Amino acid sequence: RAGGGPVEWAEWSRLCDGHGPLAVGHCHPLVVQAAHEQNQVLNTNSRYLHDNIVDYAQRLSETLPEELCVFYFLNSGSEANDLALRLARQYTGHQDVVVLDHAYHGHLSSLIDISPYKFRDLDGQKEWVHVAPLPDTYRGLYREDHPSPAAAYASEVERVVRSAQERGRKIAAFFAESLPSVGGQIVPPAGYFSQVAGHIRRAGGLFVADEIQVGFGRVGTHFWAFQLQGQDFVPDIVTMGKSIGNGHPIACVATTQAVAKAFEATGVEYFNTFGGSPVSCAVGLAVLDVLEKEQLQAHATCVGRFLMELLRQQKAKHAIIGDIRGAGLFIGVDLIKDKATRTPATEEADYLVSRLKENHILLSTDGPGRNVLKFKPPMCFSLDNAQYLVAKLDAILTDRSQAITQHT
Amino acid sequence: MCELYCKSDTLALRGKHIGPSCKVFFAADPIKIVRAQRQYMYDEKGEQYLDCINNVAHVGHCHPEVVKAALRQMELLNTNSRFLHDNIVEYAKRLAATLPERLSVCYFTNSGSEANDLALRLARQFRGHQDVITLDHAYHGHLSSLIEISPYKFQKGKDVKKEFVHVAPTPDTYRGEYRECHADPASAYANEVKKIIEEAHKRGRKIAAFIAESMQSCGGQIIPPAGYFQKVAAYVHEAGGVFIADEVQVGFGRVGKHFWSFQMHGEDFVPDIVTMGKPMGNGHPMACVVTTREIAEAFSNSGMEYFNTYGGNPVSCAVGLAVLDVIESEDLQGNAMRVGNYLTELLNKQKAKHTLIGNIRGIGLFIGIDLVTDHEKRTPATAEAQHIIYKMKEKGVLLSADGPHRNVLKIKPPMCFTEEDAKFMVDQLDEILTVLEETVGAQAESVIPANTARRAKVRASYFIFRKNMQNFGNLLKGVQISKCTVTIGTKPACSTVGLLLQISAGFRFPKAEPYHWSRKQASVPA
Repeated sequence: RAGGGPVEWAEWSRLCDGHGPLAVGHCHPLVVQAAHEQNQVLNTNSRYLHDNIVDYAQRLSETLPEELCVFYFLNSGSEANDLALRLARQYTGHQDVVVLDHAYHGHLSSLIDISPYKFRDLDGQKEWVHVAPLPDTYRGLYREDHPSPAAAYASEVERVVRSAQERGRKIAAFFAESLPSVGGQIVPPAGYFSQVAGHIRRAGGLFVADEIQVGFGRVGTHFWAFQLQGQDFVPDIVTMGKSIGNGHPIACVATTQAVAKAFEATGVEYFNTFGGSPVSCAVGLAVLDVLEKEQLQAHATCVGRFLMELLRQQKAKHAIIGDIRGAGLFIGVDLIKDKATRTPATEEADYLVSRLKENHILLSTDGPGRNVLKFKPPMCFSLDNAQYLVAKLDAILTDRSQAITQHT
Repeated sequence: MCELYCKSDTLALRGKHIGPSCKVFFAADPIKIVRAQRQYMYDEKGEQYLDCINNVAHVGHCHPEVVKAALRQMELLNTNSRFLHDNIVEYAKRLAATLPERLSVCYFTNSGSEANDLALRLARQFRGHQDVITLDHAYHGHLSSLIEISPYKFQKGKDVKKEFVHVAPTPDTYRGEYRECHADPASAYANEVKKIIEEAHKRGRKIAAFIAESMQSCGGQIIPPAGYFQKVAAYVHEAGGVFIADEVQVGFGRVGKHFWSFQMHGEDFVPDIVTMGKPMGNGHPMACVVTTREIAEAFSNSGMEYFNTYGGNPVSCAVGLAVLDVIESEDLQGNAMRVGNYLTELLNKQKAKHTLIGNIRGIGLFIGIDLVTDHEKRTPATAEAQHIIYKMKEKGVLLSADGPHRNVLKIKPPMCFTEEDAKFMVDQLDEILTVLEETVGAQAESVIPANTARRAKVRASYFIFRKNMQNFGNLLKGVQISKCTVTIGTKPACSTVGLLLQISAGFRFPKAEPYHWSRKQASVPA
């Protein structure tokens, strides 16, 4: 169960992590009402004209840069990323894709192929896939002490592209989660995306920003996480999902007219049975309304900053915390065994998550070392929730280090 | 019903913001649907349409029990399947109970496309083989992996057939290679699959799966002959592959006699993987793959977690359960059988009456009307099919046309379709066919006297009419036909034949095309 009256709201908002397809909070009554009202009237496919789909597309377009004005509605982030791949290949006439190490873009066959997080343990890297280093300034090649990590990581992408071209390969797209989540709650350095986009576009490819985990105001200061990279950066394709429908199966691809027209020129229709249905669009619209009405974006900035501050205090207190990074309500706590080597504290992270669960706090870990505590709660997460969570974390970490001291 | 935008604004906004590859029905005159209940849809003016297309609204548009179930669960919890919950296990149990015993493991997804993609992954992981045998004109979904195995799609676009894909002839006993007069079409068609396997093996390739829609829908409402699936399954198993039955269009009791279409082939036929979608949630985005324990274990032994963010969520499962409940409590399977039989009977009478109808095929509430311009050659009547669906729309009946030649009128309505609906639909069709045939003077041989000379003149005039229809191509979407005497160009027109073309407002003339004898396919989607 989740949701309910005032007391229960506080209780369930302790759900810090849902692999959260939640924007506005479990079972938000306005979203439920919108779905129910539309369910009673009509739920059919997008081959009939209907106001909801066009209204929703228009509302979404208002949140995005002007060029990104054409939409395809689907049911999952995976479907969205697969379509993005098809759009990029059709537009460029190229096949190859550049991705970031440890990326995860979905569970479909095509997406396992472009998700190092998955393919490294399975079928291996395909020849049309090229992996660039994750722009991780804490654990990656170029760290916080590097004079310009953005340029350095971007030139890694250039190197990968050139190497592919030397082998006669042509780049269709660069795919990146705007804030790599599975890779460990990474915030790419400012300027990275623009520079990468430059390299990719010169090679004839498109930039696909995967906002599935992080869109819809989560980062607080902006509606879309890619906007953290500056106003001069505009991706060619944006994919969105998870939080878009507060749990209802919806997803979306936004792109430019040029890309959309090239796709149409194949002469092959794109039809998604459930995508863009009146109910899905009513739900999407309701989520946008709640985000606005309850000012959840500003709320994410406020609570996010507060939580980061509390966590930084914890970092000063507990040596196991190597790094705190994030934006808005997208935060990672990187746990390490050793400050100098930054060795991931995998078992400790696992232990922490179990102890927190005993205290009725749900958290999970990610990153290649499974050592980064991921925070991406429902956007209604409060200051009280943040305080409570950190107090518990502190208590557990203190307990643990006392136990270790007693043993040694 | 208050609209947010007037219809023309809705259309304009759609042109501005929705990908142009996303087509609308009746492109020359799209419909704006604002409301639906049971098997009826209503446009912005309140005009009612009998919905013969929407197999997705399986138990009827906006069924109150399904809506209630969704609401109850939405108010309580909607989260992912990494938490234990009763709905997903209860639903899996109920689904498994409808299937043969060995099909017992479920994976929940959100769309038939996701289900078919997962089915491919399961098949490939099972023995490490890669190749897939698919049927000609098949359509399995819009994802990259599925376009590759959907000749219906890749033959139209610029995509070429991949080397790991093998296309077997559709077991179409009306228009295919082995027809109803063949001694054993099931074996003949199955043999084609055997040949493909042998060829593939010669080239060192290994078969992962044979995939087929239990009854092809986009391919033209094709029902494989009895025995075909068993024989194919035997060949595929021998080659180390698995049989995937795609029930996305046709499952959940649509065929009447059985819950799943593949069950028509007999109790001795059990696929290895079954995919389902569309009708499953009455419009709610959900789908499923069911397979054997053996295949599931091989998949999990790969070490990889399969996580689908929304698949199997409590709301989707509550909706799925409600749909199963309604199918049972309203005996929709029984209804499909009764109404389906009645409708087929009515349509067979129409076939005797109208030469345009070449074949009626189907089972339960999955029926196809194959329109032809020539009974011997079985030449698809593509333009006529388009004309008919537009005329049916004017009469308040929604039908679509499909098949590789877009000449098969597809009937797969909500399962609450009644005998009255069937009669109404057929009466409208009868009128339209009568007018169409009267205009060209082509009557069924059982109606006109056995007069060779007159038949030749009738055939000639009809042929001239068709040539001119070809010339006008897409123009027919907006055409109303009535009688008058006109000389068409320099060709002598039969004195009984005439065309008065009324072009619908706002319709664009296609650019002039050279004269073609061969049928040009209409581009309006089904």
